[in-house]
Amino acid sequence: MSSLLEIEDLRVTFNTRYGEVTALDSVSLQVNEGETLGVVGESGCGKSITALSVMGLIPMPPGRVAGGAIRLNGEDLTQASERRMQALRGGEMAMIFQEPMTSLNPVFTVGAQIAEAIMLHQNVDRSQAMRRAVALLDRVGIPSPDQRARDYPHQLSGGMRQRVMIAMAVSCRPKVLIADEPTTALDVTVQAQIFDLLNEIQREYGSAIILITHDMGAISEMADRVAVMYAGRVIEEARADDVLDFPQHPYARGLISCIPALGKRDGGATDMLAEIPGVVPPLHLLGAGCAFADRCAARAPRCELEKPHLFAHGHHPVACHAVEEGRL
Amino acid sequence: MSKLLEVKDLAVRFALPKPSFFAEQPYLEAVRQVSFSLEKGRALGIVGESGSGKTTTAMAAIRLVQASGGQVLFEGDDLLQLDDAAMRQRRRDVQLIFQDPYSSLNPRARVVDIVREPMDLMEIGDMASRTARVRELFELVGLRPDQLNLFPHQFSGGQRQRISIARALTTNPKLLVCDEPVSALDVAIQAQILNLLARLKAELGLSYLFISHDLGVVRHLCDDVAVMYLGKIVEQGPRDALFEDPKHPYTQALLSAAPSLTGRKAQGYVRPAKLLGDPPSPLNPPKGCAFADRCPLVAAVCRD
Amino acid sequence: MLSKATAKQAEFQAESPALEAWRMFRRNIPALIGVVMLSVIILATLYGTFFYAGDPFDIVWAPQEPPGMTPEFPLGTDYLGRDIIAGLLTGGGPTLAVGSAAAAITMGIGITMGALAGYYGGWIDNLLMRITEFFQVLPALLFAMVLVTLFSPSLLTIAMAIGLVSWPQTARLTRAEFLKIKQLEYVTAARAIGARNRRIIWKVILPNALPPLIVSATLTVGVAILFEAGLSFLGLGDPNVMSWGRMIGANRDILDAWWPVTFPGLAIFFTVFSVSLIGDGLNDAFNPKLRER
Repeated sequence: MSSLLEIEDLRVTFNTRYGEVTALDSVSLQVNEGETLGVVGESGCGKSITALSVMGLIPMPPGRVAGGAIRLNGEDLTQASERRMQALRGGEMAMIFQEPMTSLNPVFTVGAQIAEAIMLHQNVDRSQAMRRAVALLDRVGIPSPDQRARDYPHQLSGGMRQRVMIAMAVSCRPKVLIADEPTTALDVTVQAQIFDLLNEIQREYGSAIILITHDMGAISEMADRVAVMYAGRVIEEARADDVLDFPQHPYARGLISCIPALGKRDGGATDMLAEIPGVVPPLHLLGAGCAFADRCAARAPRCELEKPHLFAHGHHPVACHAVEEGRL
Repeated sequence: MSKLLEVKDLAVRFALPKPSFFAEQPYLEAVRQVSFSLEKGRALGIVGESGSGKTTTAMAAIRLVQASGGQVLFEGDDLLQLDDAAMRQRRRDVQLIFQDPYSSLNPRARVVDIVREPMDLMEIGDMASRTARVRELFELVGLRPDQLNLFPHQFSGGQRQRISIARALTTNPKLLVCDEPVSALDVAIQAQILNLLARLKAELGLSYLFISHDLGVVRHLCDDVAVMYLGKIVEQGPRDALFEDPKHPYTQALLSAAPSLTGRKAQGYVRPAKLLGDPPSPLNPPKGCAFADRCPLVAAVCRD
Repeated sequence: MLSKATAKQAEFQAESPALEAWRMFRRNIPALIGVVMLSVIILATLYGTFFYAGDPFDIVWAPQEPPGMTPEFPLGTDYLGRDIIAGLLTGGGPTLAVGSAAAAITMGIGITMGALAGYYGGWIDNLLMRITEFFQVLPALLFAMVLVTLFSPSLLTIAMAIGLVSWPQTARLTRAEFLKIKQLEYVTAARAIGARNRRIIWKVILPNALPPLIVSATLTVGVAILFEAGLSFLGLGDPNVMSWGRMIGANRDILDAWWPVTFPGLAIFFTVFSVSLIGDGLNDAFNPKLRER
């Protein structure tokens, strides 16, 4: 069975003042109907570029899809015309961004903006679209939706604005919903509400969700499967439980063990967290070897020379020489 | 153990624009009757959501925001009553670290000058000894001396936060106010900075007033915790007591809302207590308990 | 521990902001053209008279000799028979001097007023901004004319008059920058280490507010040159000094001769054009967002 959305060997490059750098390197991911794929990594790992590539929103130039394919129901989006992409965006696939304030147009009411999105993809008149907009606001849990539809974005709280964004994104029952750090700007009690809402929407519409986040806690609560990214490559991919309980790649292990736990701890107040030393290397300085080698405790000469590829390990696919050779 | 800082009934209010010329001056009550104390060598975490007044409380306690009432006893002196010259002297004992590693360092100054500046202003030692101290601090926070002459934009976020910490330590302070010092950093870098802060606390006997919205971070680093909601402390206590047996329904909700690795979707995790709505606006605070509108245990008495 | 990558990165970027700005500026062809043009103009007005002697007030030839007719006076003569090249070469110095002096006065008043208003806020801001608005709503040219007429026209009074009427723009720009920067955390950090207001205003905020102000200063030079031309055109220039504006003003009535006004007009055009090319270049060079690619 082929997946709803399949990214295969995707390679995206950017022209920068350091020359052409590879932002995504042989990225392969797939997500099925009704499933949530979490994409996790630090800033600069390529998780947002992956999302934008799927939506066809990479600025070109300087960006360029240099290879690979993105297939939605078998249709290769990297070959699709801009016109076709416009029809798909907001229709078959939709995206929610991190900053709900700047993603909404400040000079139109939120109702009008949702109605506009509906009219772009469905053959309805303005009053029908408005009615549907109000119904959607109600669906995403906004109280007294009739009145809120007439509000401007600045009159709503951050959580309400993100609900409006979600209402707009799901207005055409998208098959794929991409959420790029949807709760980073929100408080934790509001974040919890948004997560619950996304889960409800998924149950109701059967959408596939790609959740881009840096927060392993969010992955744990939201994702069925996880892809861990580092420096433009997927370095580990599996069911969420497998990655969280048995992380294989040294980076994935570090990422999980360096989180200050909310639950009970054994030590006193000053016990230390596990550290990943150093920082993510800038893309233009990536060499021939594993991008994580500099920061890795299990580094061997081979790691500096040859990029590891994802291979099916006992548990799940991991891109690491040390794991492959059984050194870890 | 002695009390380093004791805050009593601290209040901060901001004047709002008058609706008309003759109207009474309206105020936003950002911090209301906040009291807490901090012992030497300990860390007090102040947690809360945006608009809870946690940052304003800390800033008012060290007089970077003007308080409208209350007392801030630092080693027995009321900071709010000191004259300007005396306060400038006291500044060497209380320093702070900011959230945003990008806007907290002057982009036009070399980092060696940034870290040395407090000593220049307070006229501590001569030039050579100041520069020696900067080198020492660089080593202490994990930076290399050959980076002294670079500019802030040449460092990563984590390194900038180390510079910020070095600057705060220049004058050998007793109290460090940390305003969300790791929330702008990636998790791996966050762990590095948290470990650095923990090490400095142990080695230098520092006390922290640690402001954060991240409960995991607070639980990791702080000895005591105060939870704020709409300008008031709703619950405070020693860390383990507060995290394991939260009494206030808001604290309970906050704890259950924070995502953790133990709640798994794959294992059918459903959030236990769900908080509805947004925090009320401090511009228009509700009567009675500020949490009443969102509280699962609300009773008639809460609304008075 | 620091990784090799960071070490390489730090090495790679070891440049001061000024150097980095210069590297950007150097790549900006229009700005470089502006520098070359302005240099030629300045050198010509400074040293031109060594190679091409002549008093611009002397009547040396028949009036209204068109350009190219007489080898000694390649650009012809004006309505009195005065050499136009001599006028261009000697008139450039005063024109540029008035322009830059007026820009300096504009910057001085504007930055001080804007900085104090933006930093202190409250009633100081209110008071200073009302004063600024007062100067802004005055009809600038009329006000300058009154000033020049009151205090006999000399280069200094003209420069002061221009400066006095054009500072409000700079003040508003400075104030806006100060309002933005004063709430950044490094300013709070300076306060937390006990820095006094004076130090924060001039040593911390102002250097960071400079990029747009530099650009505005270059534009002000151009505006001031045009302003001086306007005053001279109206007969309010310094009577003892030749300037490009005065050349245009003196020849304005002669409708059948195009050359006595066209050449000084072109000189002003190229000066203002080159200065604004440089201003644009500086703007780009100091804009960190443009450095990424």
